[in-house]
Amino acid sequence: MASVSIPIEKPGMWARVAAWLTTVDHKRIGIMYLASSFFFFLLSGIFALIIRLQLAQPGMELVNQNVYNELFTMHGTGMIFLFVIPFLVGLGNYIVPLQLGARDMAFPRINALGFWLLLFAGLVMEGGFLIGGTASNAAWTAYVPLSTRQFSPQVGMDIWLFGIVLVGISSTLGAVNFLVTIYTMRAPGMTLWRIPFFTWTIIVTAAMILLATPVLTAALIMLISDRNFNTQFFTTANPRLWQNMFWFYSHPAVYIMILPAMGVLSEVIPVFSRKPLFGWKAMVLSTILIGVLGFTTWVHHMFVSGVDPLVERFFMFTTMVIAVPTGVKIFSWIATMWKGSLNLKTPLLMCLGFISTFVIGGISGVMQGAIPIDMQVHNTYWVVAHFHYVLFGGSVFGIFAGMYYWLPKITGRMLNDKLGKFHFALMWIGFNTAFFPMHILGLEGMPRRIATYAADRGWDLPNLIATIGAFMIAASVLLFMINYVVSIVARRGEVAGDDPWEANTLEWATSSPPPVYNFARTPVVESERPLYDQRMAAQAKPQA
Amino acid sequence: MSAFTTPQSSIRRQLPVVRRRRYNRGLLGAVAFIAAESMFFSGLFLAYFFLRTDTTLTVRSDQPLHPSIALPLFNTLILTVSVAAMAWAERSIARDDQRNLIVGTTVAAALGLIFMLLQSVEFSRFVTEGFTPNSSAFGSTFFALLIFHVLRVFAGVTFMLIVLVRAFMGQFSRHRRAAVQACAAYWYFIFAVWLLVLAVLYRS
Repeated sequence: MASVSIPIEKPGMWARVAAWLTTVDHKRIGIMYLASSFFFFLLSGIFALIIRLQLAQPGMELVNQNVYNELFTMHGTGMIFLFVIPFLVGLGNYIVPLQLGARDMAFPRINALGFWLLLFAGLVMEGGFLIGGTASNAAWTAYVPLSTRQFSPQVGMDIWLFGIVLVGISSTLGAVNFLVTIYTMRAPGMTLWRIPFFTWTIIVTAAMILLATPVLTAALIMLISDRNFNTQFFTTANPRLWQNMFWFYSHPAVYIMILPAMGVLSEVIPVFSRKPLFGWKAMVLSTILIGVLGFTTWVHHMFVSGVDPLVERFFMFTTMVIAVPTGVKIFSWIATMWKGSLNLKTPLLMCLGFISTFVIGGISGVMQGAIPIDMQVHNTYWVVAHFHYVLFGGSVFGIFAGMYYWLPKITGRMLNDKLGKFHFALMWIGFNTAFFPMHILGLEGMPRRIATYAADRGWDLPNLIATIGAFMIAASVLLFMINYVVSIVARRGEVAGDDPWEANTLEWATSSPPPVYNFARTPVVESERPLYDQRMAAQAKPQA
Repeated sequence: MSAFTTPQSSIRRQLPVVRRRRYNRGLLGAVAFIAAESMFFSGLFLAYFFLRTDTTLTVRSDQPLHPSIALPLFNTLILTVSVAAMAWAERSIARDDQRNLIVGTTVAAALGLIFMLLQSVEFSRFVTEGFTPNSSAFGSTFFALLIFHVLRVFAGVTFMLIVLVRAFMGQFSRHRRAAVQACAAYWYFIFAVWLLVLAVLYRS
């Protein structure tokens, strides 16, 4: 057979690097988001391990108090601003246009700008360790007057504030992009009720980012100007001003971090239960309701700050009300699995991990929402236990569910399921070992953010157990990384094919990884489960 | 299947039509961005009212709680005419009138510049009276609203200059005018914020 060989020059290494640096493809930008935020996850995780080592025994002097303050500040802000939020945004970046049947985001260049802003914001925030030697150390809340120039004179504080402004700009740009993309670029036939559920959660998340972030940006600019230009926003005034502006963003931020993870669950659970999502419309409405109510609860962080008691009671009420739409979701996931033929692969296990731990975090949240309980547990390890149960037990389990579910699509190869199950088991046990004892520590009165403690308080054993748990989590993440390297980098994993899970949404209708243009032909959608329709049609054909 | 079912109607059932591309993407993006901007100003207003209502703060007697409103009122007039000119420019390009688009945008941008100039006069008046962003928490929030608003005016004028350059290059028509609409929408937003700033800072 005669063949004509056309010499196609393979691009050299520098050409490929340049292609990544200048890309506006939503998939490549998504991958860069995932990779860089995973890097910040590891970095912030290392900070957490140092913190746990320091607290393993009473009177440890692994790091001094100042370094300890930097470590927990950078652990918190790194996890929140540089891992959970950008990771979920990155997942959305990769998946949302595919789920919509679109070829890219609405504004590809703004998309790229958003990623590069985020990466440099991260480097700026962590840069405090190098520039001037002291990073931000006023906790992630950066309450005034602790964060004013008088008490935190270091440059690290200024550049940390500036870094968070950049993160805010980046996520605002991303939010605008998501909203316009989802509004205008849906495949023909994709009505509002047929938008895939993960994309629905991204809509609500983007709306929350759009409306909450600018308030934090205003507060940050005010604080920066106080520190550098001698303005008086926070120096002489009531410290509750900062608290209000900060929590007006930072409480919705909690839902910004959990809603896309809930979206991942709502994709994974139906696919691995071989059933449609239970109560589709109720699920969508509960997502919107969480988004709306999320803006009405921020004062519950300030119950001991001397807010008017009547105002406190209002926010206690809204805090408890928001548990209702959240409960709707838990109920719906369980009802979806009920009598389904469960395919107990790692993604579903991660979802079960999410539900089992998130319920504990949700209940402890409602407990804290009650003013008398909050007065007792405020600023204790109880609170640390609570928010790790929702943000690690919730968001991070959701993130890993999404990784095991979508990495085959992104990379074209399956992760090893057996190793994945070990990862899940170790992470779930390690998580509960690390964070459940903190409930007890909190009730026994151990304050958060202390660098060490005396031996006679009875806090030794729970702290030691928590430290062991933290290292179990670290080992489990190491297992995941080994799995990734073996299965995907070394190409030992099975080839995924277009649709390894027999899933429902359009991202599985194209090759793995998808071509640059995503779809050769624009798909047409007739229900919220277009691929299910396709399979049914294919089954029906032989009989006809 | 009914014998009356025509092929057309079955196709229509297969392809439920979604309203697509009724709005320009860029314009929608601009509207979303304006929503974010309005929350930024909400934050500043929140800070202002928080400090105004905080009885524990002592307000210095030399602070003009109700400063003279003559110059700001004149400035309001200028911004009103500017907004009208921009609206006229937007209408003109909707009717494919490129000349009036240029005239309207030029007038609007020039008046925006005059507004900025007069705001700087206002700032220097406050500073000579000894009322500065550094004098108190109240002064800081007062100036924050004024300064962040005038920065938006600067951004709006820059936006208009870009529209002008593109208009001179003949890039706009009845069918391609989303940038003009976005610019006008932003300018209306800045005007609305100014009315709030005026009412709150000078007469609340």
